[in-house]
Amino acid sequence: MTGIRLVRLYAVGRRVPFALIALAAIATGLRIALLGNWDAYGALQLPLCFEAAAAVTVVATTASPFGEPERVAGRWLPFLRLAVTFVLTAAAAGTLLAAAAIGGHLSEGTLDVLRNVAGITGIGLLSAAVAGSGLSWTGPTAYLVAGVYALYTRWHPPTLTWPWLWPGRPPHDLGGALCAGLVFAAGLAVITLRGARDRLGDGA
Amino acid sequence: MTRLLRVELRHNAMVLLLPVVVALFWLTTYRKTVAMAPFWNVRAASLQLNAVLDFAVSVTGTAAWMGSREARHRLTDQLTVTARPRWARLLVPWAATAIWALVVYFGCVAWLYAATAHQASWGGPLWWPVAVGAASVAAFSALGFAVGTCLPSRFTAPLATIAAFFVLALSTQLIHGSQSYWNVSPIVTGPWDMAPQPGVATFYPFAPDLPIAQVMFLVGLTAALLGTLGLPAGAGGRPLRLAAAGLTGAGLLAAGTAAGLAGTGTLGPHGMIDIPALHDAASDRPLRYTPVCSHTAIPVCFNPAYARYLPATAGALAPVLDQIAGLPGAPARIVQESVTYRQEPGNGVAVFYAGRSAGPARVFPVVLADQVPGPAMTAAQMADQAASMYAGGLVRGVIGDGPAASPAQNAVARAVLTAAGVRQLTISSPSGKAARGTDAPDSGRQEVAPGTTAYAAAVRFAALPASARRAWLVRHIAALRAGQVTLEQIP
Repeated sequence: MTGIRLVRLYAVGRRVPFALIALAAIATGLRIALLGNWDAYGALQLPLCFEAAAAVTVVATTASPFGEPERVAGRWLPFLRLAVTFVLTAAAAGTLLAAAAIGGHLSEGTLDVLRNVAGITGIGLLSAAVAGSGLSWTGPTAYLVAGVYALYTRWHPPTLTWPWLWPGRPPHDLGGALCAGLVFAAGLAVITLRGARDRLGDGA
Repeated sequence: MTRLLRVELRHNAMVLLLPVVVALFWLTTYRKTVAMAPFWNVRAASLQLNAVLDFAVSVTGTAAWMGSREARHRLTDQLTVTARPRWARLLVPWAATAIWALVVYFGCVAWLYAATAHQASWGGPLWWPVAVGAASVAAFSALGFAVGTCLPSRFTAPLATIAAFFVLALSTQLIHGSQSYWNVSPIVTGPWDMAPQPGVATFYPFAPDLPIAQVMFLVGLTAALLGTLGLPAGAGGRPLRLAAAGLTGAGLLAAGTAAGLAGTGTLGPHGMIDIPALHDAASDRPLRYTPVCSHTAIPVCFNPAYARYLPATAGALAPVLDQIAGLPGAPARIVQESVTYRQEPGNGVAVFYAGRSAGPARVFPVVLADQVPGPAMTAAQMADQAASMYAGGLVRGVIGDGPAASPAQNAVARAVLTAAGVRQLTISSPSGKAARGTDAPDSGRQEVAPGTTAYAAAVRFAALPASARRAWLVRHIAALRAGQVTLEQIP
C-alpha cells in the first residue's frame, strides 16, 4: 500500500494525470488533423508536430515542486523517475499510434512515430537536466523546427541527411533509429540518476 | 519603469535561449539562403519565411514562460499591492522578452544582409520583409505572454510553442490562389507554392502591398493581445481598463482589416501580390538601370542584377554572334527582358515572356532560365541553355529560314549553326515552352535531314573558311532571304 501511495503522490506532484489528459488531447488532435487533405509536405510534417507535442508533455512532468528536500529524502526517487518517464513515453507513442490507427493514415508509419517520440523525449530529458525542467521544452521545440526543415530538404536540396536529424531519414533507417534510441537512453539515464535541474517554485 | 525594464532585461529567459535561436537561424535560414542566387528579393523572401518560423517558436515559448512567472512563483497576491497597476507591471517582462528577441533578430538580419551585400551585383536591401519579421517577433511574444498569463502551467510554454509553430507552418495549406485571406500569414512572401524568383523585383520595383497588410495584421494582433491583459478586474483602475479595451478593439479592427485586405490581393504581372487598396501605381513602372553589356561581336546586355551570369552566357553565344554580326537583319544588341506572371487555377502560376511592348526593332530579347520556375542552375548551365534556346532564333533572324523557307535558306542556316558549333537546338516556341530536337512543335525551323542534297550543301558551306563564308553571305543575303538562291548556288 505504501508503494502505491508513493507512486500516486509522485504522479500527482508531477502532474502526471494532467499529462495523460494532454496526451489524449494531442492524439485526438492528430486524428482530427489527419482528416484533412494535406500535400506531400504537410503529410510528413504534421505527425512530427504532434510527436513533438507529446514529447514535451512527457518532459514537462520531470519538474519537481519540492526541489532539494525531495532529493535528500527520496530513496525511491530514481526508480520513480525512470518508471514514470518510461511509461509516459510509451503512453505518448501508444496514444498517437492508436489515434492514427482508427481510420487514419500516417505517411511514414509506426516506426517513425516510435523513433521520433523516443528521440525528441530524450532531447527534452537532456534539456531538463541541463537547463532545468522549466525550460526543458527548448530542446524539443528547436529540434522540431530543425526536423521540419530536414523533411523540407527532401524536396529542396541540399538534403540534410545527418542521422542525428532523424526526422529527415526514412522510417526504416538504422542510423536514425540508433541516434534516436541513444538520445532517449541518455536522457532517461540522466533524468533517472540526477533528475531535472530544478529551482524551487519553477514547476507549477 | 526604466529601472524595472533594466531588471527584467537582466533576468529574462530569452537570454538563455539566444544560442539556440542563433543556431536554429544558421541551420534553417542562413545556410539555405546564402546558397541561393544573390538577388535581394530572393534572399529577403527566404529570410522572412524562415526567420519568422525560427523566432516564432523561441519567442512564443519564452514569453509564455515569462507570462506565467508570477503564478508559478505564487507571487500574484503579493504583487497586487505594489504601486504599479498589474497591466503596466505585466507589460514590462513582455517588453523585455520582445526586446531581446528583436535584438537577436536584427543581428541575424544584419549577418545575412551583409553576406548578400557582398555577393549581389546590383540592388539594395528590401526592408519590408524585415519589418514583417520584426512585427512577427512582437506578435508571437505577445501571444505567448498572454497565453502564459492566462493559463499558468508547466505545460503552457511547450504546448503554446508547438501550437504556434503548427498554425504558422501548416496554415499555408489553406491557401488557394493569390486571393486568399491566409496570405496575411507572415511566412507568405508571394504566390504560395512558387519559390522566390530572381526576376521578381528586379525589373520592376518591389511592391510592398502584402508586407504592409501583414505588418498591419501583426501590429493589430499584438495590440489586441496586450490589451486583453488589461481587461480583468484586477489589472488596473477603470480608466486603465477602458484604455485596454480600446487597445484591444483597435487591434482587432486593424488585424481584421488587414486580413480582409489580404483577401483582395491578386497576383500582379510582375510576380508580386497586388492589393488594390494599398497598391502604388508607381511600382508598375519599370526600374531604370544601366544594363551590363559584353564585348562580343554583338553586345549581350543584362540587367545588372544578373551581371554574374553575363560572362558565361556571352561566351556561349559568342560563336553564333561572330557568324552573324554585321549581316543585314542581325540584331544590334541582345537584351535581357522581364517575364510576366499569371495566376492559374489553384496555386499554379504561369510564367511567360509577353514580348517587347516597345523599343528598337534591332534588339533580340532573351529570358534566362533563372527567370522562370525550375531547378537551380549554375551560371554555366544557364549559359548552355541560353545558347541552345536562342542560337537558332538569332540565325533565323538573319537567314530568314522557317516553315516557308527555301531549301537553300535551311541549308545555309544549318551550315552557319554548324560552323558556330551548335549541333542540336532547343527551340523556344511562342508559347514559352521549349522543346529539344528536330521535330519540335512550333519551332518554325525545317531541319535539314542527313542524306539530302540540302544537307550536302550545308556541309559544303560549313566547311568553307570563315572569311569566304562571310563574304558570300554579305553578297547574297538579300537574295537568300528572298528565296532566290538555289542549293546549287551555295558554294
